[in-house]
Amino acid sequence: MGVTRRQLLWAGAGIGAAGALAACSGGPDGSKDTASSGADSGPPRSGGTLKVGALGKASSVTRDPHGTQSNESDYLILSLVYDTLAVPGAKANTAPRLAASWKSSEDLKTWRFVIADGAKFHDGTPVTADDVVWSLKRLRATPAGASRLPGIKPEGITAEDAGTVVLVSDYANAELPLLTRLTTFVMKKGTKDDQLADAPGTGPFKLDWFRDGNARLVRNEDWYGGEVLLDAIEVRIFESPQAMANALLAGQIDVASNVGAVAARTAETREDVQILRRPNDMAMPIVMRTADGPFADARVREALRLAVDRDAMVKQVLSGYGTVANDILGTGDPRFAKDIPQRGRDLAKARKLLAEAGFDTSKTYDLLTSEDISGLAESATLFATQAREAGVKINVVKQDSKIFWDATWLKAPLYTSYWGTNDSVVFFASKTMVSEAGQNEAGWQEPTFDAAYRKAIGDADEAERSKALHRLQEIEFAESGYLLWGMADGIDLAGAAVRDLPELPGYGRVQLEKTWLAR
Amino acid sequence: MIPAAAERATAPGPARHLPGAGRAARLAVRRLGMLALLLAAVFAAIELLPGDAADATSERGESAADTTLRREALGLDRPVAERFWDWISGLPTGDLGTTAHGQPVTSVLSGPFPNTLLLGSLALALSITGALALGSWAALRPGGRVDRAVAVASTAAFALPEFVVSVALLLVFSQWAGWLPAVTLTGPDGAPASWDMLVLPLLALAIPQIGWNSRIVRGALADQADLPHVQAAIIDGLPRRRILIHHMLPGALPAVAVSTATSAGMLVGGAVVVETLFNYPGVGAVLAGAITDRDTPLVAGVVVATGAAISTLLLLADYVRDRILGTTP
Repeated sequence: MGVTRRQLLWAGAGIGAAGALAACSGGPDGSKDTASSGADSGPPRSGGTLKVGALGKASSVTRDPHGTQSNESDYLILSLVYDTLAVPGAKANTAPRLAASWKSSEDLKTWRFVIADGAKFHDGTPVTADDVVWSLKRLRATPAGASRLPGIKPEGITAEDAGTVVLVSDYANAELPLLTRLTTFVMKKGTKDDQLADAPGTGPFKLDWFRDGNARLVRNEDWYGGEVLLDAIEVRIFESPQAMANALLAGQIDVASNVGAVAARTAETREDVQILRRPNDMAMPIVMRTADGPFADARVREALRLAVDRDAMVKQVLSGYGTVANDILGTGDPRFAKDIPQRGRDLAKARKLLAEAGFDTSKTYDLLTSEDISGLAESATLFATQAREAGVKINVVKQDSKIFWDATWLKAPLYTSYWGTNDSVVFFASKTMVSEAGQNEAGWQEPTFDAAYRKAIGDADEAERSKALHRLQEIEFAESGYLLWGMADGIDLAGAAVRDLPELPGYGRVQLEKTWLAR
Repeated sequence: MIPAAAERATAPGPARHLPGAGRAARLAVRRLGMLALLLAAVFAAIELLPGDAADATSERGESAADTTLRREALGLDRPVAERFWDWISGLPTGDLGTTAHGQPVTSVLSGPFPNTLLLGSLALALSITGALALGSWAALRPGGRVDRAVAVASTAAFALPEFVVSVALLLVFSQWAGWLPAVTLTGPDGAPASWDMLVLPLLALAIPQIGWNSRIVRGALADQADLPHVQAAIIDGLPRRRILIHHMLPGALPAVAVSTATSAGMLVGGAVVVETLFNYPGVGAVLAGAITDRDTPLVAGVVVATGAAISTLLLLADYVRDRILGTTP
């Protein structure tokens, strides 16, 4: 399985996802890239129905834009029908959508979002700040509401006038607009729970029909965001990536969304199939507990980071569909510190550090992992082999997913984790590394890091914030509990006629309003 | 069935049979009882799995307090016996409860169940027709070339897992030949968009069952062949076909009926695999997802629906046997 519930839910929690490097970095270039193939088939043209396959389980179908969305198919449908305030972007990781612009107060606590001109629901009524406030409050009131809109209390969501929404954060947060991507779907004020199936959205497509996770959507002629090219999109739910790849190879669907590296290998020989690689899609870091236990000494963690053979990991675990990483999370961030030198393999230095730290190399250490996503357990096994060359004996223990999340995650001294949200360094800092973070996976408490983080999101001066963000990444590179060896590409397959599919990692892939068909 | 035998012993003669309707009712009650037991077992089994629906549907990073809240909202903090009673007491009114994702179980199953019923009954019909044809063909000349070929082929077919059959069918008919669609896509009514999408899943399900059932048919016909009236017919020089149809098949029917009912159960098991591989929108996929989510009401809902269908078949098989053998099973 390429994708799992946790990962999806995670993106559904929406404090970020999708990224930025795709459009501007020279990421590994698929031989049959859509951007290049689009060039020789003339200017974008209107018309046609795009059939998109997306993963999902029939048992988990949900229609609620603010519900627990574990199906990619549901999320895709929702994000075509409804708009969020902001969306993942390429040049900056947060791009405008239903909110045309935003501005903060001096202290970075109060943010004003201006609703886009001409934005209206599919039934013709204009979108007002009241609709947005009502929707955000509904989102905030869900069980995971506090983590979806962190730092924002329900009473901190208000309408200033018909076209302006005000969000007040408990603390200074220069990255607040980042929080409004992915989950802030806007419905009409007062939409009842039993009306969700037909509730009008504001998005580029209108719902024609929905049945058991499948849907047909037709173009919204009147979309405020610009011309939509496709006549219609048909979304089909697939339980398994394999069936989805088969459907694409048989020509039954035009796009197999997030289908994974195995399918890409199968399709490599097919001239009529485009393989799309979206870099920085998925991180699979190894977590070393810093609070206590055998890896509490920073020298030991450094040694393990020097012991891993990153190129071999990418080649073998990801079948080459990925890139080497540098132990800093949030690789897709436009402000990622590319100037920090890439850490390479140095077994001699690793042994020396282990000796200095007095690490007990006679013992065998358990590395706990699960098979939640493809490649995860394999990454643990390969790492164990590589670490042995540095004198560290590691025994890989595969756990049932439920047991892993209950007993191992956030607790064990050494385990694998994975994250589908990789376009924000600050996001990872706030969620997994700052001392008080609820998901501090390595139990890391580092005052200098905390200080850099607070400056990076809270300093009134942008240059200072940017300097602090760099400092933050230096500390993370040197001392954190993470060993991030590489980043897996997101992989879509598409038929020959499909043009301009989104190239962003993560949930950026659902933005299909610019996609068109050359046939 | 010792109690039944004892009953027969104490009630000799024609009176040993309960009146028809009473017997039918007793059989039905027994099947219902089995279904209720099965459902209790489902609740108990999911209770034994690690984690519960509140964990399984939680979002990463959701606080423990939020998960507890949802656990209460889903009613999972109550003892399993109480939840089972609540759920099963709603059953007669057609209320199958609510899934862990907040959808009514009946609405989640309203599309997939008819699809599975369609695929399952077609597969069953194909299995039985195929098995009767092959088994009879083999029985026409016991020990002949056809008999031996059918024996080997049917054993091999039954030994093949649905997964292997499915992948082979996909490769041959969809990827190489391009004759048939690889997966099933549905239209707005929730049913397969075209009939040819049914062919591959149907074959994948039916082939192993044809193997199984033709062994049974062949065996039952062999037993019939030894009976005096069949031997007499053979000595009288009646045509083989006539002997088969008029003298052997009727007697083999009870065994075939029971094996059909057994096949129905195995088809449901195979459907989980086949539906996933062919993306067929049936209850198999729903069941697999529901178990991962520890979604007890949904699992139980699937069990009720398929269990009712299989119980009906078993009941029919009971009646057939009852009719022909004249005994209470």
